[in-house]
Amino acid sequence: MPEKPIQGEKRVFMTGNEVVAWAAVAAEAEIMYGYPITPQNEIMHYWTRMLPKYGLGFLQTEDELSAGFTTAGGVLAGRRAFTATAGPGNTLMQEPLSMAEAMRLPVVVIVQQRGGPSTATVIYSQQEVTMTTLGGNGEGLRVVYSTATHQDLYDYTIKAFNTAWKYRFPTFVLGDGYQAKMREPLTIYEPASWGIAMVPTEPYVGRAGMPGVDREPTLLRNTYNVEEELFEVLEQYIADFDKVASEIAEYDAFDTDDAELVVISHGVVSRACKEAVKELREKGYKVGYFRPITLRPLPVDQLRDVAGKAKKLLVVESANGQLDRLIKEVIYGSTAEMLSLFKPGVGITTEEVVARVKEIKGLARPGKLRVLR
Amino acid sequence: MAKRVKIILAGEGGQGVQSVAEIIAEAANEEGREALYIPNFGVEQRGGVSVAYLQIGDEPIGAPKFLIGDIVVALSDRAVRRTKQYAGPETLFVYDSGIENIENELPGNAKKMLGIPAIEVSKKELHPRVFNIVIMGAVLKASDVVAVENVKTAVERKLGYIFEKKPELREMNFRALDRGFELVASQL
Repeated sequence: MPEKPIQGEKRVFMTGNEVVAWAAVAAEAEIMYGYPITPQNEIMHYWTRMLPKYGLGFLQTEDELSAGFTTAGGVLAGRRAFTATAGPGNTLMQEPLSMAEAMRLPVVVIVQQRGGPSTATVIYSQQEVTMTTLGGNGEGLRVVYSTATHQDLYDYTIKAFNTAWKYRFPTFVLGDGYQAKMREPLTIYEPASWGIAMVPTEPYVGRAGMPGVDREPTLLRNTYNVEEELFEVLEQYIADFDKVASEIAEYDAFDTDDAELVVISHGVVSRACKEAVKELREKGYKVGYFRPITLRPLPVDQLRDVAGKAKKLLVVESANGQLDRLIKEVIYGSTAEMLSLFKPGVGITTEEVVARVKEIKGLARPGKLRVLR
Repeated sequence: MAKRVKIILAGEGGQGVQSVAEIIAEAANEEGREALYIPNFGVEQRGGVSVAYLQIGDEPIGAPKFLIGDIVVALSDRAVRRTKQYAGPETLFVYDSGIENIENELPGNAKKMLGIPAIEVSKKELHPRVFNIVIMGAVLKASDVVAVENVKTAVERKLGYIFEKKPELREMNFRALDRGFELVASQL
């Protein structure tokens, strides 16, 4: 019996890619399939370094199409399987992940976003939001967690396996090149010691007993002969997704109740926005902070609530409106003014968010309070 | 509570600025402080200007990168050109005084400019390979973010296996650290 990778908990200081590998081991993932692409390579490196010790598996495939399909295969065999990719690799992977959606396969995918379109940069972006939430020729029947810190990366990588296996939808952890490469402290832990039980896995194929006699036959399909047949299945899948959407959705927010303007952001950019909102509040600006943690499904009720109260919403992202489009769809009908700070493929600093808020007209100007004598 | 310190280190690929940033960040973390270090990286494997962003404070660090550094260290002519944009009215700008033809490239808006002969000192008194350790000593004195002793522990952890075989390297590295510290101390 291999020893446990983590006993109890401990504070560590490491890169985000290393965090993901540790989290996958802690989550009792059994096999990783992958093809190298920067900036996620070290997830594979750390995973393969740990696997002999803990009796785990790894398969390097010939490309991301294959990595996606083999991950699906691992899941069909009942393994807690995952893969990791970025940029053009994420593009290729949409084909197998569409199949995972079609067959309700609980594959887990870590995405470390890099610049796009195409090869672009190996560094960073938030330009894989549309593709990760709605990619493939399907209906976006998937769960996407957007992480902001190394603690998030650890927590949500573990959670992704449980969400995937509980609800049977492909589940993504959406990070980025900054999170992949930077070092910061976090606490890693054995899930059980924090009261987290791993959802058990089970095989889709090769189950015991005679099909049709001892058990129901397994019917796995991604092909249909007639339109109505497909429609019937999709109706059920979409109903299943909608039913659990509010249960899955997560967000973080503060100071939104009396805010004239709420800054909306996700992922690593929310770190800049959080700091900016705190700084602006201290100076007397009535601003609030909202961060969807799940980009699919979004925290719809909370977003609509925020959009109903604030006069203005400022969407900040390292993409040209990919989050913005998702937000606008769910708050349709709100009269809040939509403002933006879009920097596709480039990091956003606290200073830039503060400056952007200060230039917005129509906000109550603080700092010039008249003292009545 | 101490203010968060934002540091930029820039040099030629191979000068070791990333190692310096990583070791200081680890030492700060060991002290129980909050630290975040992020390297810049591109498609090239070697060459080009290498930039490290380092932040140390008492509260969890926000955005990994920033526009203006409290301390900006530039170790080559190209690094000076690349990093002068990070200088502001509160910035301490440290550069190697041996870099030629940069008089007109240095930022004009920094709070203080500090030219130190780190390349020369490491070459003449120590060994060119401990140049980055001299720089680390300089950064430690300039920033006052981490105790030198804790950095020595971090260096020991990283290079201890080499020091085991060649104890004289330990001495040289620690001397380099102290020399870097002195170079800044004498000018502040």
